[in-house]
Amino acid sequence: MDENLFYWQAVNIALDRAMEEDPDVFVMGEDVGLYGGTYRATENLMAKYGELRVRDTPISENSFTGLGVGAAMTGLRPLIEIMTLNFALLALDSIVNLAAKIPFMSGGQFPVPLTIRMPGGVAKQLGAQHSQRLEHTLMNVPGLRIAVPFTPQDAYGQLRQAIRSNDPIIVLEHDLLYFSKGAVDLDAQAPPMHRAIVRRAGTDITCAAYSLMVAEALAAAETLKESGISMEVIDLRSLSPIDWKCLQQSVEKTHHMIIAEEDSGFAGAGAELAATVQERCFYSLDAPVSRVAGMNIPIPFNAALESAAIPHAADIVVAAKKMLLERSQTS
Amino acid sequence: MKHPILMPVLSDTMATGRLTQWVKSIGAKVSKGDAVAEVETDKAVLEVEAFSDGYLAGPLAPVDQDIPVKQVIGYLADTAEEAVQTGQTAPADPVPASEVPPVSPPPKPSLPTEPIPAAPAAAEPSPTSPAEPVPAPQAFPGGPSEGHAASPYARALAFDLGIDIAQVAPGPDGKVQAPEIVAALLAPAQPPLNYGPPYRLESPTKSREAVARTMMAASATPSFRVTARLPIRELQHQAASRQVSLTVALSKACALTIQAYPRFNAVWTNEGLALRDRIDVGIAVEAQDSLITPVLRDAGAKSLADLQSVWKDLLNQTKSARLGPKDYSGATFYLSNLGVYPVVRQFDAVVPLGASAILAVAAMDSDGSAQCTLTCDHRVVFGADAAHFLTHLASQLATPDSLW
Repeated sequence: MDENLFYWQAVNIALDRAMEEDPDVFVMGEDVGLYGGTYRATENLMAKYGELRVRDTPISENSFTGLGVGAAMTGLRPLIEIMTLNFALLALDSIVNLAAKIPFMSGGQFPVPLTIRMPGGVAKQLGAQHSQRLEHTLMNVPGLRIAVPFTPQDAYGQLRQAIRSNDPIIVLEHDLLYFSKGAVDLDAQAPPMHRAIVRRAGTDITCAAYSLMVAEALAAAETLKESGISMEVIDLRSLSPIDWKCLQQSVEKTHHMIIAEEDSGFAGAGAELAATVQERCFYSLDAPVSRVAGMNIPIPFNAALESAAIPHAADIVVAAKKMLLERSQTS
Repeated sequence: MKHPILMPVLSDTMATGRLTQWVKSIGAKVSKGDAVAEVETDKAVLEVEAFSDGYLAGPLAPVDQDIPVKQVIGYLADTAEEAVQTGQTAPADPVPASEVPPVSPPPKPSLPTEPIPAAPAAAEPSPTSPAEPVPAPQAFPGGPSEGHAASPYARALAFDLGIDIAQVAPGPDGKVQAPEIVAALLAPAQPPLNYGPPYRLESPTKSREAVARTMMAASATPSFRVTARLPIRELQHQAASRQVSLTVALSKACALTIQAYPRFNAVWTNEGLALRDRIDVGIAVEAQDSLITPVLRDAGAKSLADLQSVWKDLLNQTKSARLGPKDYSGATFYLSNLGVYPVVRQFDAVVPLGASAILAVAAMDSDGSAQCTLTCDHRVVFGADAAHFLTHLASQLATPDSLW
């Protein structure tokens, strides 16, 4: 049954259903209870499930994330919300040293079925300290899985899968996606959580993107169509692990690849994607893999500069045309 | 301050140009509009004009090399000092002074030739020409290089298709990518030269290249030939007495015949038959080691005197290589007259793209007739059309009074 829902509603329903289904699931974070979450993701949950299962915490990310790890070790299924991923920097010890390591160091005796949700990315003038994206930092931590849902359907489905999983999983949501709308089938069989999805089929060039950048890539593909360029857009959905097979199949078809990432390109997710794609598809590539990424600077507060610091559909269009049509100017 | 001079875009189809000479040398004062260099395009040699007053400054691009359009070929400096100072150094890679491209123009464009041994060791430098001056390869990206960068996919494609990637011409950015491999695959086979006698490669002139390209394209036209003996003595006689070239008179006779059989003014396109409402006759002439086809526009309507004077201008422009695309493109019918060579008894010609047919006229026999072969595009006209055409033309030629 399809419903047209806001992204935040899809998250909210996922949490509601998970809590209803399994009494071991509980939600913890800053302002998740009475206030209902900054982006309304935990709205009405406290009223429905009570203070024991929906817990407001002090402003102490490392502590309540650590609490979540401990709870998970006892067999509970905690869902931690970190208000923005910028604050997750304070919780890195719990995430990196505890959640990601304990299952390994205990020889599997202590699985950590912990899910951590956090919004991030460049929103509207939140300033350099509140506009970060930490996927590169978290991708570099073995033992963590990272989901990056773009559609409300995936926000619902991937969150449900994350809560059911026995692994520690980070769900990165984008500030600007909470009020995007899309059809959600709450009873659909979700694809595996790490599976990439071809959002738009194409034959000339592949654009791999995730989270909000998928929207930019889709807009770019529509523009490129006017120039006779057929761009395939892949929504990665997961940054750890990455669905290399999907990328490989696409690049073997199009022979050209662009990676669109909002984060700064240096040592970012795109660097990993580019490196591995060339390892796996070297003989299929007809041009160097191109990264369309944010600038290597802290995000400026000024709105014009903020916008200029991150890539948009037009930048993807330019990169694709440069690769395919304007070869004389690339030399 | 130095301002770059770019390789101009002189026609829609021009992707590269070749400098035939620098007419000014480094440090020379130039005024806006002065010619500083000459560029050979597909068919014509045109001038590169100074876009402002100044002094010509280097580094100057080498002559006789294909250079992509809009690429920097030299500079205009604001002062003479700047022009002379900067003329001695290349922009990016410092190159020894002896390798800087020649600054004074050679009197005549000379074709760069490089000896290539026939044996497989083709990449080794030939010991017979150790001191041959070669322009610095790094000075301008358009210059020659030893093998081109190729994408992994292009290499894999070439390997799978059995194409020697070293022989594949690079794309506009100087790199070999998949489209170049596909083009090489579709290109005609290369003649095997490995076990034959030693040879050297001469890079063809732009004009010769253009002829080769258009002839290759024309070879896909399904054509047939019809030969007839046509009486031309009377026409030749009348043309001589009025000081009109026989070729021009023949063109007019053909144009009038096309008026009677307008199918010959059509051309096959993917969308349908293009029926033109003016008859433009192209005439094959020899030009500087090549072939060009100046066009007599509206040959059916103009008087022979007018056509003769237009023809004279076209020939002069051809001799000075100043013929532009508007002068040699777009004919709807072609004429090739080898009748000035008495030994030529019969020949046929290739129908150029865009035309329905071409008439090949051989030398006149003692009986006053010449063997004429009409080669036709079979998609446009059929054998009977050709027979009608030649019959009508024969009567035009027998009684040429109506031409005047």
